[in-house]
Amino acid sequence: MGVMPHDHIELSLEQSLDHCIKCNICTAACPVSAVTDLFPGPKYVGPQAQRFRHERQPAPDESVDYCSGCRVCNEVCPTGVKIAELNARARARLVAERGIPLRNRLISRSEVLGRLGAGPQAPLANLALGFGPLRLALERVLGIARAAPLPKFSRYTFRSWFRRRSAPMANSGPRRQVVYFHGCATNYYEPWVGRAAVAVLEHNGCEVIIAPQRCCGLPLLSNGDFAAARRAHEANVAYLAPYALRGVPIIGTSTSCTLTLKEEAPELLGMRSAMVRTVAEQTFDIFEYLRMMYECGELRADFRPIERTLPYHPPCQLRAHRIGRPALDILELVPGLRLVESHADCCGIAGTYGLKREKYQIGMDVGAPLFETIRRSGSDLAVCDSETCRWQITHGAGVAARHPIEILAKAYGLVI
Amino acid sequence: MHEAIVIGAGLSGLMGALALAEAGLRPLVLAKGHGATHWASGTIDLWGKDERSPRDALRSIVTARPEHPYALIGVDAVADALARFRAVTEAARYPYVGGMDHSVLLPTAAGALRPVALLPITMAAGDVRAGGEMVIAGFHELRDFYPPLAAANLAAQGIAARGVYLQLPPVPRVRDFGPRTLAQLFDDPAFRKQIGRQLRQQRGSATRIGLPAVLGVRDPLGVVADLQLLSGAQVFEIPTLPPSVPGIRLFNVLRAAIERSGGRLQIGSEVIRAEGVGHILTTLCSEAAAREQQHRVRRVLLATGGIAGGGIRTNDAGLVRETALDLPVRMDVNHAGWFAPRFLDPGGHAIYAAGVAADDRLRPLGVDGWPVYENVAVAGATLAGADTLRERSRTGVAIATGWAAGRMLAAYGCDATRSY
Repeated sequence: MGVMPHDHIELSLEQSLDHCIKCNICTAACPVSAVTDLFPGPKYVGPQAQRFRHERQPAPDESVDYCSGCRVCNEVCPTGVKIAELNARARARLVAERGIPLRNRLISRSEVLGRLGAGPQAPLANLALGFGPLRLALERVLGIARAAPLPKFSRYTFRSWFRRRSAPMANSGPRRQVVYFHGCATNYYEPWVGRAAVAVLEHNGCEVIIAPQRCCGLPLLSNGDFAAARRAHEANVAYLAPYALRGVPIIGTSTSCTLTLKEEAPELLGMRSAMVRTVAEQTFDIFEYLRMMYECGELRADFRPIERTLPYHPPCQLRAHRIGRPALDILELVPGLRLVESHADCCGIAGTYGLKREKYQIGMDVGAPLFETIRRSGSDLAVCDSETCRWQITHGAGVAARHPIEILAKAYGLVI
Repeated sequence: MHEAIVIGAGLSGLMGALALAEAGLRPLVLAKGHGATHWASGTIDLWGKDERSPRDALRSIVTARPEHPYALIGVDAVADALARFRAVTEAARYPYVGGMDHSVLLPTAAGALRPVALLPITMAAGDVRAGGEMVIAGFHELRDFYPPLAAANLAAQGIAARGVYLQLPPVPRVRDFGPRTLAQLFDDPAFRKQIGRQLRQQRGSATRIGLPAVLGVRDPLGVVADLQLLSGAQVFEIPTLPPSVPGIRLFNVLRAAIERSGGRLQIGSEVIRAEGVGHILTTLCSEAAAREQQHRVRRVLLATGGIAGGGIRTNDAGLVRETALDLPVRMDVNHAGWFAPRFLDPGGHAIYAAGVAADDRLRPLGVDGWPVYENVAVAGATLAGADTLRERSRTGVAIATGWAAGRMLAAYGCDATRSY
């Protein structure tokens, strides 16, 4: 049981079982059990099955593998049971017993995939991944759903763009330093999200530092590969702690990466050193940070009007930060712009969940109410903070999906 | 800086948020999770402790028990809240019927009778005093709803009733028939057509049919209308064990109304402490990933519930505390007096009357009898002064004090007593 830490968190999870009053509010909110019998619901798989999970006995229940990890159960639980964490750890135990399928090993290594595909060879890689027979083969051999939305590799990485760009003109006066945590998606697939983030931060007087970084490890955590996730987080803490200890904030555009740095990695892996804690405490979602600047009167308000009404989906991984809707708080300052919140529980992709052959349809069924809401809005553009959710929205609802920071950069009139 | 924050997303918090939103204050609702709405039956119970009409009971409480939440706000404020509640639910095509003049007796899932003042129209035909033979119909797949039991208990009280089970039409789902799963199925017209046909065959001489309260989430009126047309009888809902589908509908209706008026809800964010300057609360802190979220705020409505909802907590030494703002709690019976010889003692448990004492503007009072904070109001089960469970006044007190607290807070700072 090398990967299952015995620690204060395990203890607090055990204790949180006793807070479950079996009210089934989580079952009623769970977007997965709403559409499939394969997942009997958070209450059963979490606090109930946990009573039967013992170290030297086989895992009692395989259905925990159908938990998408969206954390809606935690959000709605009125008594504070840590259901999502219970499930994630139970899955890791299952993986420790049975090993990780090759497919999961592959799709959880977003860095390796990114390095293979992004760069000058991207058109070729994209052509290959758009090639039906190859996707069919990938589905047959590996179990990656052939219809699942795979992002397109970028011809250049965000890091290479940042290295090569001409340094911004120095503003007068001291500039506050911030570290930008771009994550894999921005680096290999959507560098324009990072360019928008850098532009907005610099426009507001920040000096943006791109520190060395690795994948945050969330795909590894959600596929139960805790050992690899631990290595990733240890590396990131080593890269980021020197900044965090100086009080330099670490700002991310991927709500899943920032949640992992803040909470998922330390909690699930039982990592509690002072350095881990400091990195967690200094990590911010970009709109969370911009909102703090706004509250201190430090956010520039030179917005150009955008006369549009757009559907906005707050991703599960953003809601799990428990910080409200910072993108709405800031974007509603833009004259003319109106964002309408989706109230859909989940888009269904849940990171790598919806890519898997046996889970693809579940993911699409989970996302159906969101796709319907977006289609009914009549807009050809949706706004969402998380990359995999954007790809799923485009796949399911057939509209373009943008990160809110891209909208904000546009409102500032920034060229990115 | 928020103009107003509401703590708690039960009925009292949502009604308070609605009042604040309609006053243009764009309230933020912070709540630990879903709660009271999803646990409760979806009816509004004003008074059920004795045979008096709610209006008569409330009138006498106002004079006889000045510390009762109803007495703090007065009968007119209760009527005002009911009127607004009815208007909002009606506008959302989920109308409530009833009022303060008399209680309606509705059957429970166990076949007991429950006095209710305001009820969703989908439950209206269940009024046992209206007469007419009943069929109580359910599904084997929905555990914890036993039509034969409910019917037998009703019959024992002189109400003609018969229990039947319906065949679940072939559906893709075979496992876990909680109330939500069934309600989703009823949202599908083809499904309810099949149920309607069965009801027609099973109804016999009955003029009304009671079903578990799972008749759709989106358009319950449409579901009831379809079933009535197909069965040839009146159809009514009977509340189930949680999660409560009528409660979920009510939550959705109130949330939509709050958001339409500029408010917002943040579920999953427990308020764990507060900071203030003198008698003004200035900052709320809610639990969040990696660090607390701080909210600077001008007005706060505390609606976290009582001992059941998590707004009041106690420990094995009998220490009682209020969980969000750490306000003083009034608890008239000491720990030794909490024990009664009988399980489920008819006198109730003293902890249910524990709560935060408040003045007539619902401001929380300290042990010295003066407001702890001028810019805070307390509503719902967090208030001291009544065992609303025994009185069967829990939801009535919730919407009445929630609405009243929201209205009074909205006026805070606009009058001459402004002190900052």
